[in-house]
Amino acid sequence: MKKITLFVFAMLIATVLMAGDEKYYQKMGETLSGFSSCSSVEDFQNLANKFRVIANVEKEEWLPLYYEAHCYAMISFMGDLSAEEKDSYLEKASKLIEGMEELAPNEAEVQVMKALYYTGSLVVNPPQRAMNTTPLIHAAIAKALALDPNNPRATFLRISNEMGTASYFGEDIAPFCTQAKDLLQNWDSYELKSPIHPNWGKEDVEGIVNSCAK
Amino acid sequence: MKHTILFLVLSLLPLSMMAQSSISGQLRDENGEGLTGANIYLEGTYDGTTSNLEGQFLLETSETGEQLLRIEYIGFKGFQKALILDGKDRDLGDITLKEELNELTAVTITAGTFEAGDKKKSIALSSIDMVTTDGSSGDVYGALQALPGTTTVGESGRLFVKGGDSRESKTFIDGTLVYVPYSSSAPNTSVRGRFSPFMFSGMMFSTGGYSAEFGQALSSVLSLQTNAMPVEDQLNISLLTVGAELGGTKTWDKASVSTNLSYTNLTPYMKLVPQNTLWEKEPQMLSGDLSFRLKTGKSGLLKFYANVNRTSLTTIEESLNQPGTSFPYKLVNDNYFLNASWTGELRKNWILTTGFSYTNNLDRAAIDSIKFQEALQGTHAKVMLKHRISDRIKILAGTEWYSKSFGIEIPGSETGSKASYLNNTLTGFLESEIYASSRFITRAGLRFEYSDYLKRSSLAPRISTAYKLGKAGQVSLAYGWFFQDPDDAYLLYSPELEFERADHYTLNYLFNQDNRMLRTELYYKNYKNLVRYGWGDEQGYSFVNNTGDGYAYGLDLFWRDKKSIKNGEYWISYSFIESQRDYLDFPEQAIPSFSSRHNLSLVYKHWFEGLRSMLGTSYHYSSPRVYNDPNSQQFNGEITKPYHSLNMNWSLLLKQNVILYFTVSNILGYEQDYGRSYAAMPGPDGVYNSKAILPGAKRWILVGCFITLSKDKSINQLDKIN
Repeated sequence: MKKITLFVFAMLIATVLMAGDEKYYQKMGETLSGFSSCSSVEDFQNLANKFRVIANVEKEEWLPLYYEAHCYAMISFMGDLSAEEKDSYLEKASKLIEGMEELAPNEAEVQVMKALYYTGSLVVNPPQRAMNTTPLIHAAIAKALALDPNNPRATFLRISNEMGTASYFGEDIAPFCTQAKDLLQNWDSYELKSPIHPNWGKEDVEGIVNSCAK
Repeated sequence: MKHTILFLVLSLLPLSMMAQSSISGQLRDENGEGLTGANIYLEGTYDGTTSNLEGQFLLETSETGEQLLRIEYIGFKGFQKALILDGKDRDLGDITLKEELNELTAVTITAGTFEAGDKKKSIALSSIDMVTTDGSSGDVYGALQALPGTTTVGESGRLFVKGGDSRESKTFIDGTLVYVPYSSSAPNTSVRGRFSPFMFSGMMFSTGGYSAEFGQALSSVLSLQTNAMPVEDQLNISLLTVGAELGGTKTWDKASVSTNLSYTNLTPYMKLVPQNTLWEKEPQMLSGDLSFRLKTGKSGLLKFYANVNRTSLTTIEESLNQPGTSFPYKLVNDNYFLNASWTGELRKNWILTTGFSYTNNLDRAAIDSIKFQEALQGTHAKVMLKHRISDRIKILAGTEWYSKSFGIEIPGSETGSKASYLNNTLTGFLESEIYASSRFITRAGLRFEYSDYLKRSSLAPRISTAYKLGKAGQVSLAYGWFFQDPDDAYLLYSPELEFERADHYTLNYLFNQDNRMLRTELYYKNYKNLVRYGWGDEQGYSFVNNTGDGYAYGLDLFWRDKKSIKNGEYWISYSFIESQRDYLDFPEQAIPSFSSRHNLSLVYKHWFEGLRSMLGTSYHYSSPRVYNDPNSQQFNGEITKPYHSLNMNWSLLLKQNVILYFTVSNILGYEQDYGRSYAAMPGPDGVYNSKAILPGAKRWILVGCFITLSKDKSINQLDKIN
């Protein structure tokens, strides 16, 4: 009887102790599922706010900041906003990336988000920004690949960038099509560190492979 | 037993399962409008919600006891309220959020200022603009002449602002003075800036009414900020029709080093394209520079830059004293420049900036057989502290030491003439910037200067203010006193002189919305204590004093549109300048020869996507200028033809790392008229001989190829994996 009591007691204490961590994972999981239903600026802003709430509680975690920044990056790619509005969202993303770099200086995904942010900034005004922003994008992708050579998102960004450049200058894109196909095949073999770690990008690579097939 | 366990289990169940309550409210801004998309949450918990379109929110929570409700919304100050939750629903009613000062959207002082840079509210010129605003071929000062408030003086090439002489404009790099910003050239031949516009990420060009941080410039200040850390290792190769340049950059995590070597030889070009100037030895220039960056501590950045340059040329000048003969004019210029600056955050809201620059400029010239040299050595040391007292009040204070020695030597002459002077100037400045609201800013400052050569001091008040009218318009006013040492030639003659002075009154209206900008400015400048001199019979000054004066007033109009034309942008800049002076050797008050009443610039740029090319064209017009004919009774009574120039440049992105560049200035070949230069003494017939001052050539053509090779680290990594 004593053993059972002790056992139950221990389990309950463990549950209370785990509750913090589990609540974080649970909340993150719930909020992450919101990405699939986001289509407007308002949707992404609301989702960003939800990640902000989690970030305010979990001050040592970079993942909530990552997804909050991702929302702002997605907003910046939306066509119907003015350049100033896009820049104001990118400014928010930029501050979050600074915070992430402090919390996780050796995390490849943070560098991937940084490259995505610079790409968003470049797209707002290519003739003026290309010269200064392109090396920043390259440097971020290079750092991501140096930290995690098999990271599929960093690889996707590299392929996408190089392919875009090659096609712009009328060069052959066939080698990049092959690289995209290989990336797609090996996508699922990449081991995620946790169920809430970034997992996006497969659809984008599929898009590249499909456009290559044409 | 069973009951005990059940009781234990039940008692350990989270209390949250027992009480659910809601907190609601209505968010408003100070005008009563509802705020949508604000973040409302309980601190330390996951319970949060977002306000709806009307600004209403409903937060459901199972927390009880002492909680802190927080409301956050970009652009507004955060709100918090301590609550004790007891399971009952709470309605907090109307909550008004106070606007927070956001420097990106708040009003800024624009009177007399053009600012550009990485900051999102960049208005006028970026380094790309400098290169693509044609006619300038990457000359910083050439590009600035397309902005209002400036006059193009073709035979000089320097910056002439709002009725002021070129010496009234000073250039600063990273806050430190560049004593000699222009290259050396033959007499009446245009100069260029010594620095490539690609070195800079930010620029503040003030055509009057500038901050107490700067001084010793009666008309304008150009403050350039160099690039921060480069991010990639790079090798740069430039091939031009006039020379070549090779440079490299190496970067590490916290440091970077860049070096550049450049050689320019105008001989092949000038032999091919007919020149007005006669050359015995065409201009050649060899220069090298070195720069490094070092990140210190958490936020500090140390910058260092050094440049060494030798320029040599020999022209053949028509003699005015002995008509029919000519003589060589030889010039060798050696210029050393270095500057260092460090900026860092000492503590939160305290930023320290220190800077140092050193210039050593030696001009060795020979006019026929007469040699003379001019040597200038200048140092500038500056320490400045910026403190943000609150989000609305900033103060800045600093002190500087300038040390300048200037001398002229005529080696080998009978008297072995040599004259030089050394002037040390100590300055102190204090300025505060106060936001009464995000719509109204005032900046007030005081600048003190003491010159130990002149044994004089000056105290200059500077005040400016700006008020934001609607979403896109603002009005700005500036008033200030500006002091400057007299020119070197007069300081050399006597230390018994005073500072020259200009008082500026400026009124500016700016409308900036949706990539279109209208800027209008009215100004009045009152000049006092300008140098006046008399020339004696013994080839020297009979007197030099500060009894000269003058005025300048005018209107600037600037319209820039980056939106209306797809892939194109244009701007129109018009300046009306009315200016007269009674200074130097003027017999009476007259219009100075460097001032023109009407100045117009039209600039158009177009990006051709299919051709991966940028085309830039511009047209510049200046109304006739005056010059003096000593044969005439009237002073400065001669008038030149107006100045017209149609220029273009073409940049082609050949490959991702190769750019082809082509530029032509004065395409139509209009014959510019820069007046005439006259002999110092009348000839035997009592007439002063003269010759026309012509531009170096009718047109300027340049073709270049710029190659950037960068080591892409990711490529190396992939090699390792595969």
